[in-house]
Amino acid sequence: MVIAWADHLAILPILLPLAAGAGLLLIEERHRALKAAISLATTLALAGIVTALFYRLEAVPQEVIVYRLAGWPAPFGIVLVVDRLTVLMLMLTSGLALASLIFSLVRWSRAGVHYLSLFQFLLMGLNGAFLTGDLFNLFVFFELLLAASYGLALHGSGIVRVRAGLHYIAINLAASLLFLIGVSLIYSATGTLNMADLAMRIPTLDAGDRMLMESGSAILGIAFLVKAGMWPLSFWLPTTYAAAAPPVAAMFAIMSKLGIYVILRLWLLLFGDAAGASSDFGGMALLAIGGATVLFGMIGILASQDLGRLTGFAVLISSGTILAVIAIGDADLTGPAIYYMISSTLAIGAMFMLIELIERGRDPGADMLAVTREAYGDDSEEDPLKMEEIGIAIPATITVLGLCFLSCALVLAGMPPLSGFIGKFAILSAAFSVPGQGQDAVPVTAFTWLLLALLMVSGIVTLMAMTRAGIRTLWIPQERTTPMVHLAEIAPIILLLAGCVALTVQADPVLRYMNAAASAAHSPADYVRGVLTDPETGAVRSPDSGGGP
Amino acid sequence: MELVLSIAIGALGGSGVWLLLRPRTFQVIIGLTLLSYAVNLFILSMGRLKVDMAPILQKGEAGDIASYADPLPQALVLTAIVISFATTALFLVVLLASRGLTGTDHVDGREREW
Amino acid sequence: MSESALLPCLLSLPFIGSFVAAFFRNDARNAESWLAGLIAFAGLIIAIWLYPTIRADRLVVWQATWLPQYGLNFTLRLDGLAWAFTLLITGIGILIALYARYYMSPADPMPRFFSLLLAFMGAMLGIALSGNLIQIVFFWEITSVVSFLLIGYWHQNAAARDGARMALSLTAAGGLCLFSGVIVIGHIVGSYDLDIVLAAGDQIRSHPFYPVALVLVVIGALTKSAQFPFHFWLPQAMTAPTPVSAYLHSAAMVKAGVFLLVRLWPALGGTDYWLWLVGSAGLATFVFGAFLAIFQHDLKGLLAYSTISHLGLITLLIGLNRPLGLVAAVFHMLNHATFKASLFMAAGIIDHECGTRDIRRLSGLWHFMPITAVLAMVAAAAMAGVPLLNGFLSKEMFFAETIEVYDGSLIDAALPYIATIASTFTVAYSLRFIRDVFFGPAPKDLPRIPHEPPRWMRMPIDILVIICLVVGIVPAYTIGPILHVAVFSILGPATPDYSLAIWHGLNWPLLMSSLALLGGLVLYLLLRRYLQSERGEPNWVMQLNGRRFFDRALVTLSWRWASTAERILGTRRLQPQLVLVVLVSAAAALLALWPHDIFRLPSWPAMPDPVFAALWVVGIACAIGGASLAKFHRLAALILIGGAGLVTCITFVWLSAPDLALTQLVIEIVTLTLLLLGLRWLPKRASEQGESPPSLSTWLRRIRDFSIAIGTGAGLALLAYAGMTGPAPDTIAKEFLARAYLEGGGTNVVNVILVDFRGFDTFGEITVLGVVAITVYALLRRFRPAADSIEVPEQQRQQEALQADGKASDDYLAAPSAIMQLLFPFIAVVAAYFLLRGHDLPGGGFVGGTVMAIALLLQYIASGSRFVEANLRIRPLRWISLGLLTALCAGLGAFAFSRPFLTSAFSYADIPLIGAVPMASALVFDLGVFSLVVGTIALILIALAHQSIRSHRATGTPLQGESREEP
Repeated sequence: MVIAWADHLAILPILLPLAAGAGLLLIEERHRALKAAISLATTLALAGIVTALFYRLEAVPQEVIVYRLAGWPAPFGIVLVVDRLTVLMLMLTSGLALASLIFSLVRWSRAGVHYLSLFQFLLMGLNGAFLTGDLFNLFVFFELLLAASYGLALHGSGIVRVRAGLHYIAINLAASLLFLIGVSLIYSATGTLNMADLAMRIPTLDAGDRMLMESGSAILGIAFLVKAGMWPLSFWLPTTYAAAAPPVAAMFAIMSKLGIYVILRLWLLLFGDAAGASSDFGGMALLAIGGATVLFGMIGILASQDLGRLTGFAVLISSGTILAVIAIGDADLTGPAIYYMISSTLAIGAMFMLIELIERGRDPGADMLAVTREAYGDDSEEDPLKMEEIGIAIPATITVLGLCFLSCALVLAGMPPLSGFIGKFAILSAAFSVPGQGQDAVPVTAFTWLLLALLMVSGIVTLMAMTRAGIRTLWIPQERTTPMVHLAEIAPIILLLAGCVALTVQADPVLRYMNAAASAAHSPADYVRGVLTDPETGAVRSPDSGGGP
Repeated sequence: MELVLSIAIGALGGSGVWLLLRPRTFQVIIGLTLLSYAVNLFILSMGRLKVDMAPILQKGEAGDIASYADPLPQALVLTAIVISFATTALFLVVLLASRGLTGTDHVDGREREW
Repeated sequence: MSESALLPCLLSLPFIGSFVAAFFRNDARNAESWLAGLIAFAGLIIAIWLYPTIRADRLVVWQATWLPQYGLNFTLRLDGLAWAFTLLITGIGILIALYARYYMSPADPMPRFFSLLLAFMGAMLGIALSGNLIQIVFFWEITSVVSFLLIGYWHQNAAARDGARMALSLTAAGGLCLFSGVIVIGHIVGSYDLDIVLAAGDQIRSHPFYPVALVLVVIGALTKSAQFPFHFWLPQAMTAPTPVSAYLHSAAMVKAGVFLLVRLWPALGGTDYWLWLVGSAGLATFVFGAFLAIFQHDLKGLLAYSTISHLGLITLLIGLNRPLGLVAAVFHMLNHATFKASLFMAAGIIDHECGTRDIRRLSGLWHFMPITAVLAMVAAAAMAGVPLLNGFLSKEMFFAETIEVYDGSLIDAALPYIATIASTFTVAYSLRFIRDVFFGPAPKDLPRIPHEPPRWMRMPIDILVIICLVVGIVPAYTIGPILHVAVFSILGPATPDYSLAIWHGLNWPLLMSSLALLGGLVLYLLLRRYLQSERGEPNWVMQLNGRRFFDRALVTLSWRWASTAERILGTRRLQPQLVLVVLVSAAAALLALWPHDIFRLPSWPAMPDPVFAALWVVGIACAIGGASLAKFHRLAALILIGGAGLVTCITFVWLSAPDLALTQLVIEIVTLTLLLLGLRWLPKRASEQGESPPSLSTWLRRIRDFSIAIGTGAGLALLAYAGMTGPAPDTIAKEFLARAYLEGGGTNVVNVILVDFRGFDTFGEITVLGVVAITVYALLRRFRPAADSIEVPEQQRQQEALQADGKASDDYLAAPSAIMQLLFPFIAVVAAYFLLRGHDLPGGGFVGGTVMAIALLLQYIASGSRFVEANLRIRPLRWISLGLLTALCAGLGAFAFSRPFLTSAFSYADIPLIGAVPMASALVFDLGVFSLVVGTIALILIALAHQSIRSHRATGTPLQGESREEP
């Protein structure tokens, strides 16, 4: 099958990082500048490509762009599928990657060998996982990005990282085995691996096959939930993220979201309304797990004393919230959930890098006193009548860091004026009313109230935990040398936060796009048709027509 | 045939899980190896069992599913084998590093108190 | 310039100013205060400019689309109420800017202070001008955050930090309640637009969710306005610089709550819920605050509690559900702002001049600062509600309202008395403020000798006190119009006619006022001795001090309980986590199976082939044996595992999967070798009898794990059986069989799938290999063996000992090594052969590569690492990278023919000896695979094996990572 050059756009997000990663291996470590330049150029190019893909998708008539690898038509060939949801995730990835890369170039990339290669391979894995339309191919890309993430998590070595890394690897290896079992069960029941084809075949399954398919999907789901860091499979997450090198942790922020993305995509594709007897399979479970994760995240964020773990638990809260919202299974809620996911991912990424800058030049023991003071009776009756009433001038660096910290806290807690607030508002607004449709436009159920409570309580808890941590690290006077912060280290953080600001100001177009993406994901007819249309004949293969043309 | 194979898978898997839950890193890695055997057999068996029907065609032939074993699970297993080899190797090195840094071969990097 | 366009200017000016202010020099007091003052002044001018429109009862509205799809547009809406508040915010703002210039010390960092102050002003204006409920919440929370930063301005003091944190926790939480309430209102009305909501009052009040919405909104308002039971953050917030207290905690922020109540009065008010919720909160606060104020020794503390009490009064008035009450409320809001702000400033001056705010240490300041004293006294009198001052007027109105009958309940009947008593307290603390501070003997041992403050510092107070007087004497001509537009914008035609005259004749309210004045005097005289003493608030008051309770609760909840809960609900150890993974997935599978009848076994098992069965008896024995030995006899365990692997291989052959068998075999070899290499670094472990008998808990753990293992094994077996025996679905595999040769150009379908149909999988898979190799390399460069496994293993030592005394030849592996070195080329050929024939017969790049790597491996075994590394020709990283790039190019070739990635073209080439070789472009791909696999395995092997040499070296020298590029 002959295709236009522009069609290759769909696969470049995978090939480009691969070429860069492999190429970088050939260059010796001592040519730092060259390696840095190459990886920077690649990542920039990647961002460009994704943007091009965005416009390409808007240009093409149909809803999806399908790339048939090796020219074999679906379902037996592997396909890459680009729809709005994919594009969003790709954009998020490239943006985060750019920030993390710039940050790491200043010092962290030198903490060990071949960091930049591993980084590119991680990008390849992420993009592949977002793009692929084939279940087993998804497994391969999961393994790829996990392998890269193992390397990155251990980057810089040291006892803490190795300890955390051992757990991380062991658990994820177990999860990968679950993945394989799940996939093969689904294959044995349905005889296909292509997601769209699965969506077509599932309604027609007989009882026995359905049983296998559903148990397979359940096992598969567990594998994803482990990746997404859902309670009770999430205890490794804060430890690993806190131990990893800051730019790495920033990238990990999106890996937990990948788990969510896959669940969203597959759950809606395989168990949507069109799935017949299996429709909405496991919805309640996802809802419950999401809620539990948020609760656990709140407990953890209150209990954690060092900023790394605290942010790790913030990851849990955000992922849990998104999963719970998605699991309600309402297209109007999914759009805002995606918005919330993107904004919180940006903030978490920024946060992980920020922590290192704040902690720099502080002795770790400094805040123990504060901790104990808070933990054991807060009533140190320092008489307000005997206060020292001369402010201390804060060095510009700390001021900037402080502002960034505040912004991150606001986004994560969902407080105005940043995008976190818009996200929560959009979710709740969609859950409670459709503006302009007057009284009681939307039925309000117990879930809606629970959702409201969940969002609010998690918000205030996050805020309190983060102010406490912020006060401890930034306000309590202590002998700290003003950290030497390179401009290229603070710039990426500001870049990410600027992203949050942009999300806030441009909320309307952004949310429209996301709602479009969500409704497409909820009614995947276009997706399925796009994938299964035979490019030569233009015929759509249906499950009974079996062999195809 | 099916019965034996499924029992075999169960046994491999069971002993793998048992080892997976042990406190020593070496036990864990052995467990993972056993589990990957089990899973590989599992995947293969999902293509239904066929004896003496290796999916190798005659030249010029368009094969038919009735007369050949299902090639797809085999391809999947091949990929799975390779990947599990890679990850096992990685895990081995990590556990060695952990053993070297922490001085113990306990999975938590510290002996359990009690 | 059109009027509506003035609103965005009005709002944005402070924010712009705040941004600019941040860039001034640290000590730029004058510049900063000029900037702030001018901006506030500009705001005031704009407000005055817009008066005619407001006077004509026309709205000024400016709108910008923000999030229309969710009914959120950025709407600025100026009506009478908003206008009055704008006047208040900007007007007081000017004075504060001037005052702060002199109050703040030259050493204080100015940019932070003024930038925050301006930001606050902007946020406050935002609340006043919002025409959309969500937008109100938006600015509401911003004020909370900014006030947090302002209270914490002197954050080196613990008190300031705690005060700031408490204020934020409470007001932000309240804000979230308000947010929820607004969302519910949005559900009821179907819009967040203020006009629509205000118009939909009946609809809201009749809706089942009305109570929920009301409670949530009211909680928001009460927290912000420091109403009981959320009042306690305000006294804590007194640790803020005095200008901040004067602005936020008397004039502006604490008014936001009551402002909101007034704002939503048409929509939510007028019900019994409202009366009881708002009214009772207000009443309680009014009395309680006034009472506590008496016992404060800190000037600002006294003022703080008095503020609480006055806000309580306002809330009570709003809660009464009567138009006149609303009038009184708005009136008192404005009055309170004037006298309380001036009192705060006075307190600030006293603090500044005397170096203390402790009433017990101050006295007789009259002689030192007569003018300030007079001003403060007038303001205090206004606070007490003395005639001819503005406080008196609104107090009168309030009394008049309390007399009215509402529902005839007990509270209602008692209201006048309670009001009088509370006002008595008010008078008492006002008296104390005046008497104790300004009269009496000259103060002893003050930190400084006080004198009049600089003229400009006193100026703001002058102005405010004059306002108090003027309003108090000729209300109708001064406050009258403002009050009218404010009230009219809420009540519209329903606005009652009220008179702002000073003299309404002898009536109940007047009597109540005079009673309060007398009572206050008496009360003060009674308490005087007690208050002079060192004791603070009476104990039972301490008991219901909300702040302590809040702190305790916070600490317990957020530290002790949270960390306990985390310990219970979470774990940081690996084993429990793995247990959970296994259990949860088992549970998931089971739950999925549940609805269907699990035990519907598709077909009764056919009689198994005895040989196959026997084979697996061995296999299973190996597996279980390996499992049981893995702890104490690692080598034995390894061998048994190998056995199990072998059986698996045979099974593959049996089940017509030759490729798998081949791959499994070679991989088997490599894996086991790696593990063997690893063994050397693991600790020696004595067998059972060596260590103490396992404890009970250990046994329980083992039993648990054992049952889990049995369970999962059985489950897996069941699933496998169900899968195998179920009817085969219509699988896509038939496509592969049909097309493998005709379109894929290979007879070995599996290989065609790997390099063509699903070549992309292979592509990813080899990348995984490469990545792992890099990681291993990076990790092992830092490898440091544990202390107890550094020295040469004893076997080797014995061997060397033997060699030393000639009992053994020093190259005891001579023969094998010779053979293996000879074998090397042959194995290489075999590898190449596998690579080439792969497309048609079992084999392919992967197997070929592994075989090649095994050849290297043999060299290692035979000749030892030193030899091999000495004359090893390959540089693994190079091979990996090139392998990846080759595969990539093989795939990219298709681009040239504008075909998708990895599209393959093929033909047969006749090579002598080997025969017809399929020359598919897939072969290039396979070549890449080959090179990568060789590279990877070689790298891992070498890296591992290399450690022995390094660590031996390391025993002598201090350990450090090697700087060599290749291992």
